[in-house]
Amino acid sequence: MTAERIGELLEARAPGAWEVYQKEGTSREIARSGAERRESSRREEGLAARWWDPAARFAAAGNAEELARAIPRAAEAASSPGEVPQWPRGTARPAAETGPLEPPPDVFEELARLVSAESRGQASLLELSVRQGRTVERVVNAAGLDVSWSTSVETGFAAAVGRHGTRACEARALFRWDQEPDLPALARRLSDRATLPLSEKSTPVERGEWLLDPSVAAALLAGLAPLFAGDGHLPWTGRGAILPPDISIVDDGTADAPFDGEGTRSRRVVVVERGALGARLHDLASARRAGAASTGHGVRRSYRTPPCRAPRRLFFETDQPVPPRELLASVRRGLFASALTAPLSCDLESDRYEAQFTGVAVVAGRALGPVGAARARGRLSELLRRVTALSSDRQFFPMPDPVGGATLLVERVSFD
Amino acid sequence: MPLDPATVARWIEPLAKEPGEMADVLVERRREAVLLWRDGEVVETRLASTEALAARWQRGGQQRLAAVSRADESGLREALRELQVTLGRTSLPIREGKALSEEEEEPHPSVDRWRKRLAALLARNAPRHKLRWTLVEVARDVFPARGAPVSHTRRLFSLEGSFIAASRRGDETRTFSFHGPESDSLAEELRVWLVRAAEPREAPMTCPEGEVDAVLAGGCAAVLFHEILSHPLEAGAISPLSGLADARLAVAELEVRDDATRLDLFGGYECDDEGVRPRPVKLLDGGRLAARLTNRACAARMGREASNGHGRRAEPADPPLPRGSNLVVAVGSATREEMARRLGQGLWIEDFESGSVELSSGSFRLRFPRARRVRRGRLADELGPGTLAGEILPALKRIETGLGRQAHIYRSLGWCARGGQVVAVQGSAPDVLIRGLAVRSLA
Repeated sequence: MTAERIGELLEARAPGAWEVYQKEGTSREIARSGAERRESSRREEGLAARWWDPAARFAAAGNAEELARAIPRAAEAASSPGEVPQWPRGTARPAAETGPLEPPPDVFEELARLVSAESRGQASLLELSVRQGRTVERVVNAAGLDVSWSTSVETGFAAAVGRHGTRACEARALFRWDQEPDLPALARRLSDRATLPLSEKSTPVERGEWLLDPSVAAALLAGLAPLFAGDGHLPWTGRGAILPPDISIVDDGTADAPFDGEGTRSRRVVVVERGALGARLHDLASARRAGAASTGHGVRRSYRTPPCRAPRRLFFETDQPVPPRELLASVRRGLFASALTAPLSCDLESDRYEAQFTGVAVVAGRALGPVGAARARGRLSELLRRVTALSSDRQFFPMPDPVGGATLLVERVSFD
Repeated sequence: MPLDPATVARWIEPLAKEPGEMADVLVERRREAVLLWRDGEVVETRLASTEALAARWQRGGQQRLAAVSRADESGLREALRELQVTLGRTSLPIREGKALSEEEEEPHPSVDRWRKRLAALLARNAPRHKLRWTLVEVARDVFPARGAPVSHTRRLFSLEGSFIAASRRGDETRTFSFHGPESDSLAEELRVWLVRAAEPREAPMTCPEGEVDAVLAGGCAAVLFHEILSHPLEAGAISPLSGLADARLAVAELEVRDDATRLDLFGGYECDDEGVRPRPVKLLDGGRLAARLTNRACAARMGREASNGHGRRAEPADPPLPRGSNLVVAVGSATREEMARRLGQGLWIEDFESGSVELSSGSFRLRFPRARRVRRGRLADELGPGTLAGEILPALKRIETGLGRQAHIYRSLGWCARGGQVVAVQGSAPDVLIRGLAVRSLA
């Protein structure tokens, strides 16, 4: 049985109101931890069907036969009617990448050396796991859409521990390499997070400039994501620009895949244009509700769950990026947030944020010394309006979809 | 067990011929039903039926794992071939294996029955809501290279989301989370939880910051012990508890165990994902540090005779890690009123939304959505959200003697993530008085 046959079954059940998604994924992983080494391979196939009869239904299975059996069962439960989306159309069936998947590079020793060097021997690498994955996806729907595409991605997880006397601190980092492995950047992140908190020094600056490392800026941007992929309007976003006029926020998933998980073509969407809230991100369901067109933001985290509305590759953008060194040199008195020590809290409803971080005190553009733990909190709207500059060192972090952060300078922030 | 055990044994035994080698095959069949509820109506129905199989080889610190998303003989051949090729062993010939018979499976369990029950329960107790109901049936077969194959099935029920509660300060949105293994008595338990969650409350004040004494009531102390004992005592974990075997860490009254055999709790199981029947493991016995949670490889490294049955995998493609299951704290003799009186001034906390621990430093953090201030031994103001933080060893020392006389199952605790692997957990605990934790407001 094939996706086409599943389509025929669904057409009989819900004429013009169905979609079939098919996925084949393979991955290879090398995980190292001290003397332990694990090599894994994984091959996964799955199909999912969505249909409206007129209630919204979803079924997923590992093969087409099982899915064909699951569909009538999913239709049994009584549900209230839902709105059928406006299906995308088109055909694109490029040849998928084939051949065996190469194992990811084993870079444990190299990263361990870099972490040690970066931390002057204070930190050591505990664990590294790198996964090389390749996925072929296909979507067909009741409007005749039949598109497929393949993606490859290298992701991983690393942990390090910093020690000073009897004190210890652990650092964990998720990473994603779109090109060559960027080991120095990963080593710096691990080293800073594992060693700076060991200083146990509190902030000497109570109010001043706040320089955010790209990883911290990315966490802030991820916290803002519901603003761009939600339906509601918040009072603080309706008072004009939310960012300075030279900064924009863009979502552009074209670098990852030509289509989203619903078969809509990927596109660049400017969600904050020169400081002001711009377009919203839509999947098929939200587009239908809003009377708009999907922007290609139906994201499938797994074939076992239906697509959800979410950013795919969100990042800050500016016409005038400043090199990170210049940005550091411009700080008169403030803190550099090198890493978060707790998840950044962004409460969009009540316009509040709280960031607990470790970093370095900066005076007259020079590092004054480490700050073990500091906290910045206040109104999110104020924080965003006080962004003064954005650096050119953009990096993407998996959250879980890639979010691009660059060194960000904010003025007039209070710390405790 | 649709795979023929004799065939699996014949194919897998050669992988564990050498001394110190172990190998196994894990097969999983998972059926999941999800109903999305909005204000008394099911707005979406989701069903998923998946299967997977993984073959694993291990010797010392070296491990190889191959997983495929099918659970028939073809899948078994594919996974074993992959393993044999990477190990440089003679591999099985490429041949189409027997596919599973196309017999009609049982319908997805209990969906319609639960839909009717939930409709009635929610209409009475929380008519305005956005909730997600999930019933997962997970059947796992483990075929170890040496020993008999074992099978077990669990049906896990979850209801999570938010609802609007009518409160003295007007409508307010409250989060709700309830997890339990499916049973006949679960509906009544859920009703009690819903009623309690929907109780009218005063407008919360901002939580005070600084050092605070607290009573962890309603079973939520299980979350604290899950973070400060279960995780650090997973074999191989390096934490402030490492090297403190048999050390007196807390009051003699405190007895904490991890008990996977408690099948009435969400984290229970009949055998772990390496085919080992679990044993209740005392983590803290009379206030002294006792045993660790082990899987087969860790037990072998520690020179123990056998694993105590805590090798758990989130999915077949994941390696088995020593993980906690159900955290159970033995009861004391104090009444609720005595606990409040002994607390004097402080916080009364009955809910934790989440918890985390950093093993190297031993610092932990627990996030609570609300609390009550206790003044002169009496419950006073309603307080908003905050975090409790501390370090493992000082926190254990500051637990006071005189635990509550009644154990409460804490159904809000359901899942625990470590290294990306999410497994079912739960706990049961009496009220616990702990002094000197750091509290921070999240309002």
